[in-house]
Amino acid sequence: MPIPSRRSVRIRPPNSVQPKLRDIQRAIAGALFRSLNSDEGVQPANAMVAERFIKPNDRLSAIERLQIYHQQYWWRLLGALGEDFRGLHAVLGESKFEKLAVAYLEACGSYSWTLRNLGSRLIAFLEERPEYTRPRADLALDVARVEWARVLAFDDPEKPRLKAEQLAQTPPDRLRLTVQPYLNLLELGHPVDELLSNLKRISAAAVGDTVAIVDRRQRKTVIVRRSRAPIHLAVHRANFSVYYKRLDPEAFRLLLALRSGATVENACATAFAENKKRPGQIATQIQKWFADWMEFGWFCSLNSP
Amino acid sequence: MPANRFNAFTEYGIGIGLRIPHYGQILEKKPLVDWFEIISENYMVDGGRALHVLDQILEQYRVVQHGVSMYFGNATRPNREHLRKLAKLVRRTGTPWLSDHLCWGSVDGRFTHDLLPMPYTWEAVEWTARNIREVQDTVGIPVAVENVSSYAEFHASEMTEWEFLCEVVERADCGILLDVNNIYVSSKNHGFDPYVYLDAVPVGRVAQIHIAGHTRYERYLLDTHDHPVLDPVWKIYAHAIARIGRTATLLEWDDRIPSFDEVHAEALKANRYLPHANTIAA
Repeated sequence: MPIPSRRSVRIRPPNSVQPKLRDIQRAIAGALFRSLNSDEGVQPANAMVAERFIKPNDRLSAIERLQIYHQQYWWRLLGALGEDFRGLHAVLGESKFEKLAVAYLEACGSYSWTLRNLGSRLIAFLEERPEYTRPRADLALDVARVEWARVLAFDDPEKPRLKAEQLAQTPPDRLRLTVQPYLNLLELGHPVDELLSNLKRISAAAVGDTVAIVDRRQRKTVIVRRSRAPIHLAVHRANFSVYYKRLDPEAFRLLLALRSGATVENACATAFAENKKRPGQIATQIQKWFADWMEFGWFCSLNSP
Repeated sequence: MPANRFNAFTEYGIGIGLRIPHYGQILEKKPLVDWFEIISENYMVDGGRALHVLDQILEQYRVVQHGVSMYFGNATRPNREHLRKLAKLVRRTGTPWLSDHLCWGSVDGRFTHDLLPMPYTWEAVEWTARNIREVQDTVGIPVAVENVSSYAEFHASEMTEWEFLCEVVERADCGILLDVNNIYVSSKNHGFDPYVYLDAVPVGRVAQIHIAGHTRYERYLLDTHDHPVLDPVWKIYAHAIARIGRTATLLEWDDRIPSFDEVHAEALKANRYLPHANTIAA
């Protein structure tokens, strides 16, 4: 068997004593993951890491060299989170959002190779730590849920669409439909879809009021009031853009039931369990919904993996 | 090296990085561009606009994949799910080779999303070469490793950066994506002669060259990719071409991105250094 060519450029010194690569990387990464001091000054623990592992040069001390990476880490991650959660930023205001973002990133970090997933644990974090969003904790959570749904709807997979003839071939008591992965179904206490659309339109900045968000330059105000009844929202994708669609409560329950694996017949029964409409009206309503949803491509082919 | 086994014996010319602000113009006007480099991770998704655009680009142009988060220098093996998605994208794009950086960037599954410099140790050589080999074996096409800009050096280092690069590519039997801007930035930050670095590079392994702009701060240079290529970097590029020969060259412009025409015109300046390259290739 031929021996592969391994031309070494240097002669490896025998038995050299070195810190293990993994230990160096753990120490440096640990330093980067510590939050920046409020004045972006030096974290004492980081000074020790820098002294131990990093060489100074004639212009920068060891800690100054580490600080370049430390700042880049935080600016990059805070920037990415702020971009994905602009509405939450506006609702909380600059200072509160930054405190939340730092706490979230310290606690949860990024465990994905792509920054796309950076906000994947934010909703759970907001539920566990409402102190970062009070007194707007409920609104903040609603906004974060919609904004995370936007991230998912943007590039989650689209499975082959169900064809009308496939739908017609199976009776409703045996027909189970799969809902597209990019379709996100949310029950909200606030009209976040309107809020985000308005914020996008006027580039609003947050102010201290609990319900008003004001564009400082144009003096435009976005009012956010808790809705009297829950809002049911589909966050979905069409023609490669993300859209919101309000749903009737029954339609929302029907889609949730289908997603959980119920047959079409059972899903319809669940959706209208508390509805007093006449069967004929209900049937007409369901037909119209299915026609719309088929047009949107929300149902996947029955043979989809 | 006009063509070698590390760029799959292709003879690509001057390309530019495919960036979102240019999608519209590229798809609409179909400008004449030799090839585009894509950031692999931007297209390692399961659906949506990015893949739709990529498929349209692939109908018209040659595309080469460049990654930013494989982290060959991590003291762990590559993430299998990441590799699976990368291999899937390779099948989609038909990229003749792919590249990623000579750096590390995550520990125990937690990511820094940065290209962190390596301690140039023998242990790091082993880890890095092993990881590159694993990626190369999985994707089934040549892999080129790119030298990064760096702002820190380690006490633990046992060799220079260029010695480390040479050791890694020999042991991994992989190609080099030679970033001449990164050589310049690091040479200023660490006080070495960029031409010594360049002259140590094994020319037969260079699959591709990167050029880019950087930013000068009071006490260090930062690799920002938000400027035209500066004169000292063009000089290093000229030296590299004189040594290596005509090589696939790619301009990176990632921040404060100007119009497509401006980026393309900046990239085409590389032509000034290319015409005589074949006659003086090493």
